Amino acid sequence: MADQLLEQVRDAVEGQIDFEGQRLAELVTTVLLGAAGIVAFLVGYMAQDIKFTLYIGLGGTALTFLAVVPPWPFYKKNPEPWLPPHAAISGVSIDVDGKKVG
Amino acid sequence: MHSAVVRVQNVFGFFTTVAFCVAGVIALSSFINPQFPSASVKLRNVQVVRGRPHYYSYKKEEYAHIKFDLDTDLSTLFNWNTKQVFLYLKAVYPSSKPGQPPSEAIIWDAILPSSSAPKHQNHYIHPNPKKPQSKSKKSKSKNQENIDSPYPRGELHLNNHRPKYQITDISGKLQNRTDVVLELGWNVQPWVGALTWQNKVDFGVWNALKGGVSAKFDFPEIGAKKKAEDLGTEKGKEGHRLEAGGEQPIRKRPS
Repeated sequence: MADQLLEQVRDAVEGQIDFEGQRLAELVTTVLLGAAGIVAFLVGYMAQDIKFTLYIGLGGTALTFLAVVPPWPFYKKNPEPWLPPHAAISGVSIDVDGKKVG
Repeated sequence: MHSAVVRVQNVFGFFTTVAFCVAGVIALSSFINPQFPSASVKLRNVQVVRGRPHYYSYKKEEYAHIKFDLDTDLSTLFNWNTKQVFLYLKAVYPSSKPGQPPSEAIIWDAILPSSSAPKHQNHYIHPNPKKPQSKSKKSKSKNQENIDSPYPRGELHLNNHRPKYQITDISGKLQNRTDVVLELGWNVQPWVGALTWQNKVDFGVWNALKGGVSAKFDFPEIGAKKKAEDLGTEKGKEGHRLEAGGEQPIRKRPS
């Protein structure tokens, strides 16, 4: 019971996503942060007020953290299937110190 | 990127890169803001007195007390990236030894904040010529509201202004020095980017400071009579004391 609970907590903290999700997360980071920087500068320069730049930049960064860090479902759409158990695919036998493992 | 911790690190890492780049662009954007400052500095009165640097000092030094007029238009120094401008007026005079660079001493300074700077007690408060200086509570609360200068930002009109600092020389001797000028200088402190000082030559869209240097004058002798305009003032009777045994009142000769 405790083990199961611990497992759930670990899963939630680690927040693992699949390979396609990792590619997507990388892209989202680059695009969101880059856009936030550009928009922040332009708005601040147009309004001639550097506070806009500061707050838009920080807001964009916070948004990026929110979008990328938690393991959202759209990062888990392409789960990599596990290999079937060895016994099911072949009769390969692996010896470790005289014991049969596979 | 497979776990949350790695994603935090990745996003934060790229955030620092973006922040650095945006800061760099902001710093560069100051240089495309045209500025054309102008100023006029005039000497009003200069006196040299002998004094001590502090009460217990045995050393006597000579101090110059310089009154001046200052009219500036530095409004173009305030762009979106300016935090404050440190403005100073210095007296520049040749060194007593030949071959040495001229001596400079600041006689007055001010911190001019930009509109984006938070209020601070050290910010310069321009004297208001229209409003009489009264210390009543009513006017004090009113002053809190319009503590700002009566003129637009960066514009100063000081008339016969007293110096903030009396200046002396490293040698302690200041009287009879010649070829002294008053020169206006500043230091623009931006939110992001490099500090810049006043420019004497055009640099891109930044024009050189127009004016900002007074005419040459001399430090008078200690106890010397003031400038000619002061000689016309009415004096009290104590200025006409009789010399002991003499018959003529002593009149100091105008130098």
